[in-house]
Amino acid sequence: MSVAAKEPRSPSAWAEIGVPRLFAIGGIVVLALALQSTILSYATILGVIPQLVLVVVLCLAFTDGERVGLVAGFFGGFLQDLQLPEGSIVGLYALVYTLIGYAIGVMREYTPAESVWTPVITIAGASAIVEFSYAGLSIILGQQWIGLATTAKVVGLVVLYNTLLTPLVFPVVKKVADRYRPERVHRW
Amino acid sequence: MYRRSGRGRLLLLVFLALSIIIITLDFRQNEGGPLERAKDISVTIVAPIQRGLTTVFRPVGDFFASIAELGGLRTENERLKARLDAAESEVRNARALENDYESLARLNDLEQPWTAMETVTASIQANVSSNYRWARVIDKGRDDGVRPDMAVVNADGLVGKIVRPVTEHTATVLLLIDPRGAAGARIAARRDTGKIQGTGENDRLSLELIGSNSDVFEGDEVVTSGYNEGIFPPSIPIGVVDEVIGDVRAPEHTIIVDPFVNFNELDFVLVLTESGQSIAERGGRG
Repeated sequence: MSVAAKEPRSPSAWAEIGVPRLFAIGGIVVLALALQSTILSYATILGVIPQLVLVVVLCLAFTDGERVGLVAGFFGGFLQDLQLPEGSIVGLYALVYTLIGYAIGVMREYTPAESVWTPVITIAGASAIVEFSYAGLSIILGQQWIGLATTAKVVGLVVLYNTLLTPLVFPVVKKVADRYRPERVHRW
Repeated sequence: MYRRSGRGRLLLLVFLALSIIIITLDFRQNEGGPLERAKDISVTIVAPIQRGLTTVFRPVGDFFASIAELGGLRTENERLKARLDAAESEVRNARALENDYESLARLNDLEQPWTAMETVTASIQANVSSNYRWARVIDKGRDDGVRPDMAVVNADGLVGKIVRPVTEHTATVLLLIDPRGAAGARIAARRDTGKIQGTGENDRLSLELIGSNSDVFEGDEVVTSGYNEGIFPPSIPIGVVDEVIGDVRAPEHTIIVDPFVNFNELDFVLVLTESGQSIAERGGRG
């Protein structure tokens, strides 16, 4: 059956997300970006900055599914793209975060529901995929690269950081997401 | 089972297409394009929050440090007062010399030294580095006369240059350690010039000299050469030579330079508002 064709267009998608929740999600993402570029950037190891925006996007995808995940991913990534100095490719974080937000949202249905470790492990894996994709796409799109050693260092430390941040961020995101969820029918 | 069948595939396609359109726009965009405006807007939204967080949290770091130093404060105070007196008289002498120099320079048609340039003091408001780019946002912008390509220094030496996005009240500083943060440089004691470039690491810059015929040694000081890149004034300290890899007389060589500036602990910087495009223009005429 041609599901995609029959699926109602954006109105239903927006209705599922809901306007108050859109603002709540927007608020969390902007705050995450501000924290990432101030307080968290003082707490770097070997110059690698924790990617809080990514953690928030992944947590949202985990609590609220693929639609919210991909929309939050797009806006979070785009906002992060826009902050970077000139010469970075604008839209690349948006692309990668959209994909991972969607992927995690779909995947969560196949993971053990009530385990504390599920989001932590999922987000660690997703962080590695995101960092490698970002690096790979940058090279493909002709960005000057600083070498495999640096990329490996960055990926390793980002995974470590994001894993440490998840237990702190997840409950906060879940609380906000639960509060602004328009209907609670689909909780499982 | 609406949710299971739909999976938001359409929504995914819409936002993927949007991302790809943005990337395409970024590749084609000229100055003042729609993305440029989007950047300004996003910086304007996030900047106040960043400023707030920085003002609230930076003193906390200092606070704990100062508890530990409380005992030494009185003697420190005395010592600083004495130093301030000395410094003030030095400043008076320097100002007199500066005036002399400026009139001589004007007579002899010399370039203005960077130490005599107009500056804007700015405080670092946010770190907008990704893990592959190195940049900071400062709290001075277009309204304060800050423009792209201006040189940024601190007390230790060259920090980097201003790049877009520059808004009314903020600007972005591309740090010298960014792989794209290049500057024309030379060994201070000699005339050999070349190009210095970031490596993405805090304590390593890479210098390549062009047509050098003298040796370079560890500990040699490196300064900006001026005019090579068209935007930095000459003789701003950059760092010292740490290691020389290969023969500097051959085209294939790398000189590792340890920068004077501690890029981990940037608090205040000076923007040289008479550098950048105005130097490039003067260079073009001369």
